[in-house]
Amino acid sequence: MARIKAKRVGFRLDMTPMVDVAFLLLTFFMLTTKFRPPETVQIDLPSSHSEQKLPESDVLTVTVSGDNTFFMGVSSQQSREKLFNSVVRPKLKAAGLAPAAQEDSLRNFRLTESFSVGREELDRFVVMSRFADQKLRPVIRADADADYEAVSHVIDVYKKANLLTFNLVTVLEREVR
Amino acid sequence: MGMVDSPNGNHQARKGRRQSKRLGFHLDMTPMVDVAFLLLTFFMLTTTFAKSNTMEINMPPETGEVRIAEQNVMTVRIAGDGMAYCSLGEEVPRRISLYGPSDSRKKSLSAELRSLLRKQTSANRKMVIVVKISDKAKYRNLVDLIDELNLMKIDRFSLDDYTDQDEAAIKNAV
Repeated sequence: MARIKAKRVGFRLDMTPMVDVAFLLLTFFMLTTKFRPPETVQIDLPSSHSEQKLPESDVLTVTVSGDNTFFMGVSSQQSREKLFNSVVRPKLKAAGLAPAAQEDSLRNFRLTESFSVGREELDRFVVMSRFADQKLRPVIRADADADYEAVSHVIDVYKKANLLTFNLVTVLEREVR
Repeated sequence: MGMVDSPNGNHQARKGRRQSKRLGFHLDMTPMVDVAFLLLTFFMLTTTFAKSNTMEINMPPETGEVRIAEQNVMTVRIAGDGMAYCSLGEEVPRRISLYGPSDSRKKSLSAELRSLLRKQTSANRKMVIVVKISDKAKYRNLVDLIDELNLMKIDRFSLDDYTDQDEAAIKNAV
């Protein structure tokens, strides 16, 4: 009974299950990770020294590309659905699309990050998405080489929709002054 | 380090005899697990998600007028020709190069324009800068100018429409 316990020299623990789990998780995340889908247009953002971060939810983004075309996107799927029902669906109906096809394009629309909008339509889209979700924060994401005229059109649209505080997306300028 | 040990491997004793089947084979996995977790932690800690930066702009509402004395207003007009036209109140605009001499795309505002802005705003604390940008100008001009104002901690500025009057005003700039 009073024997001295042998020192545990060369103690070994079977690590196989732990390694199994670690690699399982690693592979799972590697395989399920979805990378950001490619942008519809390449936007060359202007640089600034602002370090404020853009919120991820509840944003209404109007993109102005380098050739002055407009794209619009809302971040939440509910707002997208409301926007679809109020603006896009009547158009499809008028074009004589079958209800099944309308549902199909709704499913597509819910997953689109941004879609092309005509210059004249922008007004209606912004007002309707504002109507769909009051909390939306307006954001302008314009190419540095876009004409100011196009951007000022977006600003005017926001102003008319009574959205007086908005964000301009920029990239951080790495330069010490 | 890197040892492979099998519990039933008394090779020395059984030399010459038929080698036994390697049942219960053990491999020391500690170094591999070390490296795997090291990499995992490294990538977890160094990953930053790409998030864009923004600049916030406040627009004055259309209705409701704010009256400001003429000598407290500095108008900066940006035409499409890379020049800024600054004028205090109603005086004749001064033509100043918008960007300083620099190479390629990395442009910063000219020192002259910067010092003018700084001088005017520090001389008069009530100074309001009205920025008017021509339709012919680029969006980049707006961002650069606002960025500069933000850096100088000038928050009394507003954007206004560029009208034909402004076009006429910059015609006789000095």
